[in-house]
Amino acid sequence: MSEVDETAFEPLLSEEAQKALRGPLPPGDYYLFGSDACLEGAVFAGCRYYAGYPITPASEIMERAAQRMPQVGGRFIQMEDEISSACSLIGASWAGVKAMTATSGPGFSLMMEAVSFAVMSETPFLIVNVQRPGPGQGYITSSQEDVMQARWGHHGGGPIIALAPSSVQEMFDFTIQAFNYAEEWRVPVILLADETLAHMREKLTVPPWEKIKVLNRIKPQALGIPPEKFLPYEPYEGKVPPMPAWGDGYRVNVVGLVRHPDGNVTKYSPEMHMACVSRLVQKIEDHADEIAQVEGYHLEGCKNLVVAYGTVTRSAFEAVQELRGKGRTDIGFLRLKILWPFPDGKIRSLIKQVENVFFPEMNMGYLVHPLRESLRDRAKQFISIPFLGALHSPDLIIGEIIKVIAR
Amino acid sequence: MKMAQGAGRKAMGEKHPVPWALGLAPERVFMKHPMLEYLKETGAYGDRFPTIFCPGCGIGQALNYTLNAVDRIIKKDKIPRDHFCFIAGIGCSARVTSHYLGFDAIWSLHGRAPAVATGALLARPELRAIVVTGDGDAAAIGGNHFIQVCRRNLDMTVLCLNNNLYGMTGGQSSPTTSRGVPSTTAPYGNVENTFDLCEMAITAGANYVARWTTAHPQQCIQALEKGIRKKGLSFIEIMVQCPTHWKQEPAKMMKKFKSQGVRFSPEKRAEGLKKDQFWVGEFMDRERPEWLETYQKIMDRFQRP
Repeated sequence: MSEVDETAFEPLLSEEAQKALRGPLPPGDYYLFGSDACLEGAVFAGCRYYAGYPITPASEIMERAAQRMPQVGGRFIQMEDEISSACSLIGASWAGVKAMTATSGPGFSLMMEAVSFAVMSETPFLIVNVQRPGPGQGYITSSQEDVMQARWGHHGGGPIIALAPSSVQEMFDFTIQAFNYAEEWRVPVILLADETLAHMREKLTVPPWEKIKVLNRIKPQALGIPPEKFLPYEPYEGKVPPMPAWGDGYRVNVVGLVRHPDGNVTKYSPEMHMACVSRLVQKIEDHADEIAQVEGYHLEGCKNLVVAYGTVTRSAFEAVQELRGKGRTDIGFLRLKILWPFPDGKIRSLIKQVENVFFPEMNMGYLVHPLRESLRDRAKQFISIPFLGALHSPDLIIGEIIKVIAR
Repeated sequence: MKMAQGAGRKAMGEKHPVPWALGLAPERVFMKHPMLEYLKETGAYGDRFPTIFCPGCGIGQALNYTLNAVDRIIKKDKIPRDHFCFIAGIGCSARVTSHYLGFDAIWSLHGRAPAVATGALLARPELRAIVVTGDGDAAAIGGNHFIQVCRRNLDMTVLCLNNNLYGMTGGQSSPTTSRGVPSTTAPYGNVENTFDLCEMAITAGANYVARWTTAHPQQCIQALEKGIRKKGLSFIEIMVQCPTHWKQEPAKMMKKFKSQGVRFSPEKRAEGLKKDQFWVGEFMDRERPEWLETYQKIMDRFQRP
């Protein structure tokens, strides 16, 4: 081992390739890999810190980040594990930089500790979970098995926001939106992609830069709050507290313990505990309708409703169109773009009364439970269509629907 | 050992002339501690002092030495106070960042403080990160994080307040507990060998490595001052007494630190250590490449003219 730095750094890419991509992607049409679209979205959103640990099928996002971060003035680091990757996001976020990581099943489990801390300390960052099947090592194909873990996997179960993209374009768009949600609500946000989507090439349209909406966290200095009057856990206008960065002079003591609005962790009482945690829960749950994104198709006169999210949307919508083409005009379609907070109010405002609800998921039927709760009095039966290891084919979904409606 | 109420004060009065016996006014006797400037005694929701530390705990001393070193750097090097940032994990050592510090600070997750500091430094390299860990943090749950920051040689100061046990949870054995010593989780004596964190830091690649004890105030301050100024990773281990769980008088424990801590030198190394002895001193001071500086060279390639 040499004590002196004599290393000549040999770039993997040619000089031309390095120069070609310095800033964010110029507006225009691209034929891009899902993983790359995700990272390019992050660059647009202002993400300038990426920490990660390789795992199939999420490694491509990390490789793109390694290439792109220094090109756009950010820093990339390969950490020793997923635990430290997620924990380093907490440090980067408090130092004032938008931060992200990407992982898959087993790595996502390791990140739960940091998610819980981030919920409590109101630290915004993005975790992209390119889902693979489990339990255990499972396999390395496509899955939607972490939808419940994203919400309930961390101890304490405080709320997070989770999005489910279904195309390469949405890998780009939803990543930007995910950062916006994180900054606006000061929560960790989870992008629930899957292997199919991450490893798919499709058209991506980058709109003119000025049309891309990017939100940034509110800083106390922008509101004219001086450090001596600043209470780090006192919400501003009923939403979230302003968030200074370390080094700004606000001398914030960030804690994961229940605390008073000034950060005092002694003087404990159940009332103070209740006030602290209920605010964290309510800031998301009370605004679920505002956060929710649900799309309905053919809901007029709909008796049989198909619900889907993520990549399965593609097969499910294809199945609905095909059945409608064959004269089954009583079939409607509902698409969940935001999975958490569960868009209860939005779903109930769209669906008044149906007979059957079909829910294809790339798991053993997980999100059907909160859906059943949402439509408890508005549907006769809920039919989960599970499929593991690969995307449902439209034929599979059609077959399951026909079995029920042809009775 | 249990002391009768007031016994300590009486014993002290016999040996040394106490101020109240000399008839001095309280304001002349009780000067404000100079380091209080860097602490938060109170806040909008009540007092934060007294701290939660047990009487006689060495963590207060270690914090005092750290703040003294930081104070010297702020005054001599003209580094803004608000560039300092204290990052801790979980345990007694970590409680210093809970809400007492008048600096940016985070009381983060058990063992993960080096990872949190990594993120903060990469996001804002002008920060001076001081990572406060304990022996459970650095040697057990965060062992790999500690090894990897040393290997990367990131420009931060990692302080380990080593009390040889888990204090916060009730005196369980830690990886630095001596062999044979009983604890609540080793009721028949600790069967494991001990971990030398300084040797680990050297092997992993830290630029500066030193160990002192609470009985070496000036040496601690000087090592911390040097460590904070040092480019790359500085690891400073401070042996702190835990009178509560080792059930010994703090003063006696500090005397033991003085007598059992053997000043390290390469020549003395060959002689080896006797039972219960440990090395103190500076073990490593070198200039290996630092992560942020190296990465900056890559970032500079893409700077627009």
